[in-house]
Amino acid sequence: MTDWQALQQKSFYEATARERANGIVDAASFTELAGPRDRMSSPHLPALGEAIEFDDGVVTGVGRVGKHPVFVISQEGRFIGGAVGEVHGAKMVGIFQLAQQAYAQLAAKGADSLAERLPAVVISFETGGVRLHEANAGLLAHAEVMDQIQNARGKFPVIALIGSKIGCFGGMGFVAAATDLIIMSELGRLGLTGPEVIEQEMGREEFNASDKALVYRTTGGKHKYIMRDCNQLVEDSIGAFRTALASALQQPYAEIARCRRIGSEALVDEQLALAELSCEIQPQDARDVWAYFGNADAAAIPEQTTADFLRTVRRRP
Amino acid sequence: MTVEMMIGRGREAIDMIVDPGSFQENRIGESEFSPELGPGAVVGEAKLAGRDIVVIANDAEAINERFPVVYFGVIGMEEAYKMAKTVYTVMRQDAEKAAGEKRPLLLIVDTPGNAPGKIEEIFGMNKATGAYQLALAEARRCGHAVVAMVIGRAISGAFLCHGLQADHILSLSPEFGTMIHVMPLTSISRITKLDIERLEQLAENNPVFAAGPDFFYRLGGVDEMVTELEDMPSAINRHIQEIEAAKAAGVADCTGPMYHGKLGEQRGGRMHRRPVIERMTAEFAAVAEQYL
Repeated sequence: MTDWQALQQKSFYEATARERANGIVDAASFTELAGPRDRMSSPHLPALGEAIEFDDGVVTGVGRVGKHPVFVISQEGRFIGGAVGEVHGAKMVGIFQLAQQAYAQLAAKGADSLAERLPAVVISFETGGVRLHEANAGLLAHAEVMDQIQNARGKFPVIALIGSKIGCFGGMGFVAAATDLIIMSELGRLGLTGPEVIEQEMGREEFNASDKALVYRTTGGKHKYIMRDCNQLVEDSIGAFRTALASALQQPYAEIARCRRIGSEALVDEQLALAELSCEIQPQDARDVWAYFGNADAAAIPEQTTADFLRTVRRRP
Repeated sequence: MTVEMMIGRGREAIDMIVDPGSFQENRIGESEFSPELGPGAVVGEAKLAGRDIVVIANDAEAINERFPVVYFGVIGMEEAYKMAKTVYTVMRQDAEKAAGEKRPLLLIVDTPGNAPGKIEEIFGMNKATGAYQLALAEARRCGHAVVAMVIGRAISGAFLCHGLQADHILSLSPEFGTMIHVMPLTSISRITKLDIERLEQLAENNPVFAAGPDFFYRLGGVDEMVTELEDMPSAINRHIQEIEAAKAAGVADCTGPMYHGKLGEQRGGRMHRRPVIERMTAEFAAVAEQYL
């Protein structure tokens, strides 16, 4: 078995950012760009007495999925929680710019060639958002990434993979929401305000962050799938994420773009109606919402295997 | 010279900036918003130097009865979608107009954060703030001039949501109590275990972590500091003209977040962004034919 085949079996949740980057594209097709050998580490951390990593906590590069060049951003939660500083953020922006360049070059070769080899940006999120040690630069980088996602609209897909330990929170929570297609495992977590921050700001009565089951019910993959805030739910292996990504990229661009939850006036109207529904339901817990959408045995959902869940779940209409 | 705190005074700021009596709340052309919807966000049309503009501001005195975590200028789900809907409404109504005739959008910024609550997380607050940013980025890229004017608090994710997608960003100078940050220095001190004096010393040479509009100016996150309240209308008007001229010249990324990245380098605040992107570009060029 090759290293790449072994990676396919590996838990996405446990995998490092580099393993995920290599494993989600075709075998031996990944080239890392601005990798550790370039030593593009944070210039700001040493002054604050913090250790650095030579990749600044994010693996960036290019691979292939079938004929599609796939530009990959893979965040490493083991380094300062995958948080985004100046260099980390610049690497993200750089990937979008390369995808734009590739798009322009392929478009120049004609429409057929472009459709067949349409580039994509894939982000494997594992982050709490802005890195506080270089918070201002990290914040400004978030704005650039959001602008780059909007700039990709109508050209090439941007796809989110969420299933790693840290989840995807803070500013990166809305970056993920802005992508075209979101693939999660049930272990993935997605939100804006992390559980600890809600508890700290609003009190333990509003949210008990140490209640892991509550955290998963509120932000986990199954909940996001019911709400249609994630488009596909897959098993926890790199191979399962890769298979879902590969089949998505076989779709025409317009089909992938149809998976969006925000990004147009019609979608904002739909989300606004959902916000109004939240007033009507007044849920004490995500389970109340699951029941509202027709899941009679809502309490059983957290215990179900992914396969059983997918067979029986009722999603938001 | 008038120096007074503007925190919590978003509605007054609208009156200080736009032509007297011209602000029509909840009205955008033929469209009208319900006054009950997202009261923490104030939207409407107005005139600035005789020209039609659309204003999006925060109301620190409003309480959203149905979403208890929304008060004191917090942006909740309803507020963010109302703001996004305002932007889409303007784009739709002006779709046929030439770039220089599309109505400018003025964001008056005084917000402490995005709503942190259980219901917000269950229903996906991340989508609400994301939706507003995408709408602003689209409006900016399709020819509307978008100017942000920070009058009070521009904090972390709420500033990303309401401000950082603008073409140009102005801020009242620090004497007005203007706050732009992710975290106050006390919190940075707790996390880094470095005392405040040491952090202040470090911030003199490196603006990446300290709180305050000056640091954002050095990083290119604020285009210009406005030092007199009376100067706000003329400064905003001048920036609208600069933005429209830059866009008419047709240079890519001549405004907005990518432009602010370049500005940050010109001002010596963000020196590592461009070398990283250039290195990636060079390394990709060497392997590109394998992929394209």
